[in-house]
Amino acid sequence: MTHADKGRAALRRAALSAAVAVAALAANDASAQESRWETSYPIIESGEWTGPRTRDGQPDISGHWSNTIANHNNFTDPQGGIPNDPNARPLGPREERAPSRVTDPPDGKLPLQPWAKKKVEEFRIGFHNPVYPGHVEPNARCAPGGIPKSLYWHGYEIAQYPGYVVFFFDNGTRIIHLDDKPHLPENIKLWNGDSRGRWEGNTLIVEVRNVNGKALFGRSGEFISENARILERYIFSPDGKRYNYVATFDDPTVYTRPFTVTIPARKWTEEDPATGWHFDVIDAKHDGDERIVEVFERVCVENNGGFGMPAAKP
Amino acid sequence: MNLAHSVRKSQPLRDLKRIGVALLLGATLASARHAAADCLDDIPRLPNGRPDFSGIWQTTSAADYDLEPHAHRHDAPPGPGVIEGHFIPYLPEALEQRKENFENRHTDDPTLKGFTPGVPRMIYYPAPFQIFQRERDLIIVQQFGHSARTIHTNGTQHPDDLYDLWMGDSRGTWEGDTLVVDVIGFNGRTWLDRSGNYHSDQLHVVERWRFLDKNTIEYTATLEDPKVYARPWTLSVILHRHREKNFQLIEDYRYTLEYADYYPPKPDE
Repeated sequence: MTHADKGRAALRRAALSAAVAVAALAANDASAQESRWETSYPIIESGEWTGPRTRDGQPDISGHWSNTIANHNNFTDPQGGIPNDPNARPLGPREERAPSRVTDPPDGKLPLQPWAKKKVEEFRIGFHNPVYPGHVEPNARCAPGGIPKSLYWHGYEIAQYPGYVVFFFDNGTRIIHLDDKPHLPENIKLWNGDSRGRWEGNTLIVEVRNVNGKALFGRSGEFISENARILERYIFSPDGKRYNYVATFDDPTVYTRPFTVTIPARKWTEEDPATGWHFDVIDAKHDGDERIVEVFERVCVENNGGFGMPAAKP
Repeated sequence: MNLAHSVRKSQPLRDLKRIGVALLLGATLASARHAAADCLDDIPRLPNGRPDFSGIWQTTSAADYDLEPHAHRHDAPPGPGVIEGHFIPYLPEALEQRKENFENRHTDDPTLKGFTPGVPRMIYYPAPFQIFQRERDLIIVQQFGHSARTIHTNGTQHPDDLYDLWMGDSRGTWEGDTLVVDVIGFNGRTWLDRSGNYHSDQLHVVERWRFLDKNTIEYTATLEDPKVYARPWTLSVILHRHREKNFQLIEDYRYTLEYADYYPPKPDE
């Protein structure tokens, strides 16, 4: 299903729902807004896991998840809008918005080398009227969101299988291997990298290699190179309702020092209404009474209709 | 379902089989059959007892070059075909379209543009795919664009309001140890192979998946499409489990290649 198709499907669903449940829809919107625009989030400590486990002994955290603070408009000022947006709404004081996703250095700024900072600034101008292909956000052409952007671009499903944790994103899949097989040879570079994980208590620790550096951090244009190494920690809360992604990026090609990224996320369940962004599910047809949700076809291969800001060409 | 190979076969059938074997083939073959039955008892299963197809699979057939029997040509090795009755029963007009597709296959094959191969082509496309299976579903992850296809096995049905999907809407049920999957809701934009065999958006596929042994799956697909075929027809391929040490999928987003060189930014010369 293309994004355009998805949009039409959503419209049809919305029209149907509206006829019967205007109030419920309004509640959906409020719920989505509230969750999307959380301005602060709790710290979750690493520790023991006392919750349910999968049949191969992993902490059972499978389900639908989405970040709680914003989309990919702006990496370091997540609720601050796209940099240089000509249609920007006026912003209040910085402290009224969610903090930077950069939690180290403490100033929330990415420690870019001067040449890389210049490239980011050029992107932020070019993005609004791209004449150079590199100023199109590649996700707009159905390239995978990559790391870390996939975690704040739409909700996603985490599924667990013996030996694997698998992230199913709207476009692209990340397979985390929980065994100790070696990483792929270094010359193989991938949009989503190559991931090896292990559980320590409530924390999934993932070593990422083989990234191709092509996936940007969002519409604010930050990037890593193909030499980056990422150490991710997915720290799950004791009640299994939230996790914080705390990842260290080490990339001497682009940055002056390693930095840490934190992305808060919450779980979405059958108790929640579908939102079309965080929790983009439909109710499955079946003979029983309980609610079963499922996801549209997971495919994004021919985004010929274009979407996603200036990259969209009618 | 192959009753002789089902562990859920009924007692009378089992007795009949036993008598038949004893009468016709004698003790030696009976013990061979016993060995085969042990082998099938050995297939991986989910906690609910259903066969567990989890793993990385690939066909060794030449199906993706051309489903029909074909001699060698410049762009394909020869192959005996994988269709019952050898040829697809195209309607006359559809056969003309298929011939045109064949002539233009080097530009018009949707997989050349990076489009997902769709169903059933993704199963015999010459690249590994991985099945992740739970009781509620099987999710098939291809290397190719990492499009993930879900086969629901939780008793849910096709939606009433069905959209045009690249891979269709897949609902599976179990007949003994055979997974039977009903697939509808296609967009008609995929081909069946690189030689131009094709279908329309009216395609209806019924797949049957069953273990021959723990490392081998027999896959059959019956295709019905009143806009393109005169009658339903069936293809069959064997899927082999990848057992190489440390084998894994490698993502293949080839449709990004035309612009990939623009990223990431590099220092000015």
